[in-house]
Parts: sequence; C-alpha cells; structure tokens
Amino acid sequence: MSSSAATRGAASFDAIVVGAGPAGTSAALGLAQAGAKVLLLERGEYPGQKNMFGGMMAYGPVPEQLIPDFWERAPWERAVTKRILSIAGTGSTTSLAFQARSGSDAPAVGAGSTSDKGLTGFTMFRPQFDRWYAEQAVAAGVTLLTGCRAEGLMGADGAVWGVRVAGPDDIIKAPLVIACDGTLSLLAKEAGLHKGFKPEQVALGVRAVYEMTEEEIDERWGLSGREGATQEFLGCTEGVRGGGFIYTQTDALSVGLVFHLDSLQEHKIPPYELLERFLKSDPVAPLLKGARMVEYSAHLLPEAGVPMMPKLSRAGLLVAGDAAGFCYTNGLTQEGMNLAMASGVIAAKMGAQALAAGDFSAGRLAKYKAELKKSFAYRDLSTWGGAIDFMHHDRLFTVYPQMISALMEDLYRSDGTPKQRILRLARRAVSGRVPVRRMLADLLEVGRGYL
Amino acid sequence: MIPDDLFDLVSYRVHPEAHITLDQKVCEGCDHRACTFSCPARCYTWSEERGKVDFAYEACLECGTCLLVCDRGALDWHYPVGGYGVRFRLT
Repeated sequence: MSSSAATRGAASFDAIVVGAGPAGTSAALGLAQAGAKVLLLERGEYPGQKNMFGGMMAYGPVPEQLIPDFWERAPWERAVTKRILSIAGTGSTTSLAFQARSGSDAPAVGAGSTSDKGLTGFTMFRPQFDRWYAEQAVAAGVTLLTGCRAEGLMGADGAVWGVRVAGPDDIIKAPLVIACDGTLSLLAKEAGLHKGFKPEQVALGVRAVYEMTEEEIDERWGLSGREGATQEFLGCTEGVRGGGFIYTQTDALSVGLVFHLDSLQEHKIPPYELLERFLKSDPVAPLLKGARMVEYSAHLLPEAGVPMMPKLSRAGLLVAGDAAGFCYTNGLTQEGMNLAMASGVIAAKMGAQALAAGDFSAGRLAKYKAELKKSFAYRDLSTWGGAIDFMHHDRLFTVYPQMISALMEDLYRSDGTPKQRILRLARRAVSGRVPVRRMLADLLEVGRGYL
Repeated sequence: MIPDDLFDLVSYRVHPEAHITLDQKVCEGCDHRACTFSCPARCYTWSEERGKVDFAYEACLECGTCLLVCDRGALDWHYPVGGYGVRFRLT
C-alpha cells in the first residue's frame, strides 16, 4: 500500500504509532484492543526489515497481556535453557555455564509453560518475529502502512496533532502520536524531548548470521529438541569496552559484538575488523567451523539507562521502546525487547485513558511516566544503574579478563613445584596489572552495582 | 578477507537520492574523521589524493553511528525514503 492511499481520503485516526517494532506494535495492538482506530507506520517494506538485535528475547509475561497464547504462537527459533559466560584471556578462556534442569525431558519446552523457571528466553529472527507480531495487531483492527517514513510531527512546538509522511502535503491527523522510532529517537528530538544523544550513551552492535545444521548446533552446544544456548564473551574486543555473543537459532548462529560507541571511537578500530578478529579468535573459531556466513547487520542501542532517557511525553505525544531508552545490559544479562513491549503496553493503556477522556494535554500524558516508573521495565533500568556505570570502566574489558585467565592457568597447572593457595595465586595474577587498592575499589563498585 | 564478504551479504533497495548528505567544507576542517573508522558499513573513507571524505550512502545500514560521532554538524541525516534502503532478512 502506498502512503497516499491512506492520506488522500482524509483518513483520520485516534492514534498514530510510528515504528512497527516491539514497542510500536504493542502500543498499536493495546490501543486497538481498547477500541481505538489506530494507524501503525513502518518505513521498511515489512515490519522487521530494518530491525536488528542480538538474537534472544527474554521470557516474560509482558506479551501475554496482549496475546494470551503469545509464546505458543510466536515464531521463535529455540527456547534458551543454557547460558554460557566465557572470559577470554590471551592463552586461555574460562567459562561459567548455566544449565536449566528441564530441557530434554520436556519436548514442548517453553510453549506457554510459565512454570518452566529454567527457561530464560527465546532466540528469534526479527524480520520474522516483527512481521508476525504486526499481523496480530492488524488482525485486531490496526491499519498498518508499510514503506512509509514519518517525516516529522505536526504541531511539534505545541500540542502534537498528526504526522507528516511523504511530503509537505501528506499529513495524517490524530490527537495522539506514539513515537517508537528507535534508538535515535528523531521524533522526540523534533518535539524537544531530548537534544540528541552522545556516543557515550549508546552502543553499536555488529552481527553476522551463519548457517549451520540443526544437528551440528545441537552437538556443539549439547542441546536437544528445541533447546537453545547463548554464549557471551568478555575480553575479546581488543580493549574496546564491549562484549561478544553467539545465539543459537534453529539452523543458524547469530554471532556478533556490541561496543560502547565512545570507546570504539577512542580505539579507532573499525567495528567490522573487530568482528573479523572475534570470529577468528581461539574461543570462537572452533564453534563456527564449517558454518557459512549469510548476513551482516549493524545497529545502535541505548546503553546509558535512566540518565539518558528523554522526556517521555508532551501534549499529544508519547515515546516508547528504544526511543525512550528501554534497553540495558549489566554485563551479565541484557534485555531490550520485553522492556520495549512493556513501555508500549503502558503507552497503550495511558493512550486509551486519554482517548476516553478526550484529553491529550501535557498534564494528562505526563501520567505515562508515572505509570512507567511503577513497571519492572523502568525499575530494572534503575536497579542496574550502578552496573551500567561500572560497564564504562576499561579495566573490566582488559586487565580483569587477563587476570582471570592467569589465575586459572596457575590453578590447573601441575609443574612439579608445590601448589599455592588461591589467594597467593590471585595476588600473583594481579601483580603489575592493577594496583590492589584500585582493584578493591572496583570490587566495591561491582558489589554496589550487583548486590 | 572477511570485511568484503560481510558487505557483499547485505541486500538493499537503493534510492536514487542520498538520504544523508555531507557538507564537505565542514569535513575539511575535521581533525578526527571518526566517521571513517566508526561506520560499520565503511561508507566513509578518507581520500588522501583528493583531500576529502568520500561517502557512499548506498551501503548504509541506517544505524546512526555517523550522526553521533560527527560532532561538527557536517551531516544532514535522514532515514531513506520509505521502502528503500537496507533489507535485513535474518536479523
């Protein structure tokens, strides 16, 4: 459908949602379920065409608020029961593996069984998932317009009353606009809700997808049925603050790196070169042996938590998803899609209330932020604030992985000399790398961030 | 070499007009040229011969990295026209 088809007929809507990603589709679906006439705009030829993520969506109840049998129907690839954290040093890699007890005993693993506590998430492909999710919104009455770029807001300096699409004459009216236009958050910027982001507030993800047979993946990660694994890597980014990942899809692997953009800038190493070195590195290369690379992608993600969050509303406008900063990593885990969906669900709820009251004033829509603050999504961002800060220390990505490697090498080596206790080994691993006082201060900060 | 393989795997529907434009005068005065080593699609390259930044919008992955690393305001940055640009299939 072309954009003019919807606009020429002077169509007007109760709400326009910009961006058919997890936040936008959740907001549109929620509003439609409340009886609103909703237009969902997507600049890609289909939802998901422009979207990229690492590869796993956390398993949670949020989408079930909109689609009760969501997890049974959503087009996921594998149900993640195994999580591996690998710390790479020069001569060795040390890994910690979490393995849920369920898995092979439960062939229908993850299919809607909320009692499955060991299940942590689902791997998926966004072009497939986002497309399916938007179809659910369309089935609920949402009008989806694809191949349509939002050029700007109408009433950006006062109360927002619509969206400009293809040119200065193509205007779609609605008393409520929900901007879910991704990390750069261009519409919120136009509305004066933020002044643009800085490199230190975002991360850049680069990713390669490899084809590998289902059997080969099962064998390499010890999986069966539809079980999946994720493997995250620390110390593999040449000193750039960031980490690596492998997510198992059904018959493909999503492999990539995420870096703090400011650190990448300081190191002046192109991201694709870092990816190349990662793919050829000792801990990664054997896992990819025989696999064929089929796609490359890159994207920015918000990384600075609550402090980078724009103002989330003004008269006639709400902001949700990545555009509102709903994405985090604390070094041990990272979440984005389910937080984005949670913000979309709340935007729909507050939007429906505003529609019922016929009140789209700044004061009423400011209640959106108050409601978000009660949600796990906002609270998680806030909870991990200290860890997010700690993730900005270079040492975490350089000396500490090397130290852990050195310590484990000493611990496992039997070289005919008497063994030493762990503390002495640790002291040796530390010596010359980082002053003890500095390390104690870091440990204290880690403690504050995580505990 | 892997980087070339990477870029060959990306599919696009290229619009005849560039969605990002550079003000070359501003680029000439830039001393860090962060775009040339931060862009994940290698869209920006420094041409020593011509003393300017060469820019190929066709390979853009629409991530926004250049917009954030360019602190000189040399870019007029937009997403491509609806229905154009990068087409991820398995991301």
